Amino acid sequence: MKVKIKKWTGVGTWSYKVDYDNCGICRQPFHGCCPYCKWPGETCPVVWGQCTHCFHIHCMAKWLKAQEPREQCPLCRQKWRYA
Amino acid sequence: MSNIAAQRIQREFNEVIKSDEAQKFSIKLEMDGSDFRHINGEIAGPPDTPYESGNFKLEIKIPDTYPFNPPKVKFLTKIWHPNVSSVTGAICLDILKDQWAAAMTLRVVLLSLQALLAAAEPDDPQDAVVANQYKENRALFTSTARYWTTVHAGGKQLNPDFDKKIHTLLDLGVEKHQALVALSACDWNLDRALEQIFS
Repeated sequence: MKVKIKKWTGVGTWSYKVDYDNCGICRQPFHGCCPYCKWPGETCPVVWGQCTHCFHIHCMAKWLKAQEPREQCPLCRQKWRYA
Repeated sequence: MSNIAAQRIQREFNEVIKSDEAQKFSIKLEMDGSDFRHINGEIAGPPDTPYESGNFKLEIKIPDTYPFNPPKVKFLTKIWHPNVSSVTGAICLDILKDQWAAAMTLRVVLLSLQALLAAAEPDDPQDAVVANQYKENRALFTSTARYWTTVHAGGKQLNPDFDKKIHTLLDLGVEKHQALVALSACDWNLDRALEQIFS
């Protein structure tokens, strides 16, 4: 039997390569979004620090603002530097 | 209350309820009605400390900015400890102030308070009178803290000598807690306690 493909639709999935499932700040999963956002993905990305810990970008921004002028990782308290 | 605070508290409640410590009745959390901002906590006094066999109630207030700011915690149960005010229950603990981190949880706070009961920091006191006694007369501090545990927190160790001194003051018309405070602060010296109360 010969099959002729007339049309096809590619489907891709992606996920963050993270060591743990939830953001340590909001406790929501990384494959979801932070509590301020509606949709996961480009608009609510995950950020990594040089200490290797990661959080939702919006959660991290709020934490750094609340902690001013210090900038520490909410998990290990090392100086926070974006990786 | 902001979305993030309410959602996180809900998750933290489940975390505490399922924790090993809760199964062992060592820590407890209860919501005050349906309000996420007011939580009642309870910790068991750690073994081999003057707080052993006592249960200490805590008032936990969650700010709208949680978890970016720490919860406000104080002891409701009266306690004799260098880092807790014997009058107001206010607590001196770094993680409840400038050392708070957003990844910490209520479970961490309760366990840290339990650790504080096991290892006081007399050089960073919340109650200078207690801290002074801790440093100057450790044995007397221990029996005083144990006595407070029995009187206020359901501890089981009795102290007939202290009971007798309290009753002497009660017979003079002094209110019970006032008598306990005065005697504790005066190293259980009746004359000095009397002087403090009636001066």
